[in-house]
Amino acid sequence: MIRVKELSKQFGGFTAVDKLSFFIPEGQVFGLLGENGAGKTTTLRMLATMLQPSSGSILIRGIHAIDFPEQARAHIGILFGGETGLYDRLTARENILYFARLNGMESKAANARVERLATQLEMTEYLDRRAGNFSKGMKQKVALARSIVHDPEIMLFDEPTAGLDVMAIRLVHAFIRELKAEGKTIVFSSHTMTEVMALCDAIGIIDRGKLIEFGSLKDLEKRAPGMSLEEFFLHRISEERR
Amino acid sequence: MRGYTWIVFKKELMDTFRDRKTIATSILIPILIFPILTFVMGIAMQGLFDDVESHVPIAIIGEESGVTEFLLETGLVEIKPEPDPMAALKDLDVFVVVEIPAGFTEMLKGKNMADLILHYDEASQKSTMALGTVQGLITQFQQEVVRQRLIDLGMDPGIVTAVKTESRALAEGESGNPVGAMLYMMLLPLMLTMWSAVGGIPAATDLGAGEKERQTLEPLLATRASRSQILFGKYFAVVIASVMGMLASLLGFLLATLLNPTVLASGGIMPLKAVLVIAVACLGLNFTFSAVELAISFYARNFKEAQTYLSPITILVMIPAYFTLYLDGKLIPESYFHIPIINTIAIIKEALARIYDPRHLMIVGVWLCVYVGIALLFTRRMFSRESVIFRN
Ligand SMILES: Nc1ncnc2c1ncn2[C@@H]1O[C@H](COP(=O)(O)OP(=O)(O)OP(=O)(O)O)[C@@H](O)[C@H]1O
Ligand SMILES: [Mg+2]
Repeated sequence: MIRVKELSKQFGGFTAVDKLSFFIPEGQVFGLLGENGAGKTTTLRMLATMLQPSSGSILIRGIHAIDFPEQARAHIGILFGGETGLYDRLTARENILYFARLNGMESKAANARVERLATQLEMTEYLDRRAGNFSKGMKQKVALARSIVHDPEIMLFDEPTAGLDVMAIRLVHAFIRELKAEGKTIVFSSHTMTEVMALCDAIGIIDRGKLIEFGSLKDLEKRAPGMSLEEFFLHRISEERR
Repeated sequence: MRGYTWIVFKKELMDTFRDRKTIATSILIPILIFPILTFVMGIAMQGLFDDVESHVPIAIIGEESGVTEFLLETGLVEIKPEPDPMAALKDLDVFVVVEIPAGFTEMLKGKNMADLILHYDEASQKSTMALGTVQGLITQFQQEVVRQRLIDLGMDPGIVTAVKTESRALAEGESGNPVGAMLYMMLLPLMLTMWSAVGGIPAATDLGAGEKERQTLEPLLATRASRSQILFGKYFAVVIASVMGMLASLLGFLLATLLNPTVLASGGIMPLKAVLVIAVACLGLNFTFSAVELAISFYARNFKEAQTYLSPITILVMIPAYFTLYLDGKLIPESYFHIPIINTIAIIKEALARIYDPRHLMIVGVWLCVYVGIALLFTRRMFSRESVIFRN
């Protein structure tokens, strides 16, 4: 469960995120749409408590994230950007274990978890090889495993398929579906409408820092029958800017 | 160090020392540089001494005389029959030309003062050194003549030697190589300060800007570890890398004194007290510079930028290090103990000279604490600033 109220972020005098309010119930997949520079990454960074909001509040599973960022982070996993890097001189196992330990897992539990994830993601073969010369696909799997190693209830994805090839994109989509089936709450930003259509229960459209649209995909269909998501998106943005 | 700080520290240390580039730049190079440097210097010095000392080529203008004979007998000069001695000097075929004016022998025989002119090339180091050798020989010849004159007069030649000197070095266990010992005293503080300051740069570059470039900083910040735990884990890893660099350079330095004792003479074992003072002074630099380097590295957008920003540190340290190169450890002005970097070098020089002034130790100790404190505050501020962490 994520509840955001009047969330704003200023950089100097520039308002990147402007009084955002929304509620995402447990187990929902929420898609954040917006043009370049709309404020998606900034919003997700604030949800992940990496950025301090200028004003407003964030409630993560009942925890005030701004006052208790470390407790809130225990429930959050992130995957920001398509091609996230790994520590090249560490093995896949060491890469994942590091994040398990930094998320408060005991060494034994962490090891067992890594083994399980390796089997699930089919990477046992190269688990103990250094990540430096992995293929893109191999790296992607390690990055996915890293993001969920502590089994968070909430996952934040920022354009997780940007710059990836077809195979890697399929992998990420399958991964998100899997998490959805497990009942995780997911927020993800994207430029790709088909991706959003295929994965999301609800969407928000963000334009120049403001949330101009928020609702379930079903509601949207009722409101704009016959319109594709892309058409709806462009229509709403131009309406807003008039 | 507890919890997440320790986990970050362990991982960063492992990561750093798996990096061949870091191993090469912070361990291998400092170990090798001094043995190589002293080896090359040794060869150069040997060449210089060989040429000049074994047989200084000289030419004579003027008549044959007792001087010529005397010079030949020493076996230290070679008299070349040059048709044009001055031209030969210009071409450095000979290093010194001894001009014996007409009537030289007669003047000596008549117990008068005879003139002798030595020509040399002030632009040539070998010629200048040869001049010293020939001058020494002429002095010997002169003393011989005086001695003979005194004996002829029926007097004791000892009366003209009012003072007889003998040089004895002060330091115990003196190697009998004053030049080598002087170089040692000059270079050791320079090298220790340099490496204490720059030894952490490769690790800092990787742990700050490298993390940004790899895009692993965001996942790291999203873990349960707090900012300061992440920062201090990284900081201590950089400190260790920097200490390793410093120790490697020290090892290289000591290796050089063993391999090339003619160039670098250690002057015996250092007392524990001196070692302690020097260690604390160096650690002060390690802790200060590691913090500054990490802060700068975090400020940089990527690896390349970090390298650009961090390279001036080397020059920044080099200036005070060279400024104090000839500073005598026994004659350090009080004000030097208040100038950053210079005060560390000063305290090392004093320790090497076996001086332990409690006042100086206190002053430098307090300053080092201040530097470390300021550097850490600066780094913490950098790492907590969003505009630095998310600069793009
Ligand atoms: N650290 C920062 N300092 C100053 N301005 C920033 C910072 N981060 C983001 N901004 C600005 O805030 C605005 C929103 O940026 P943000 O990255 O959130 O957009 P976005 O929706 O993720 O865009 P994109 O689709 O290009 O990733 C942009 O105008 C950006 O320039
Ligand atoms: Mg973005």
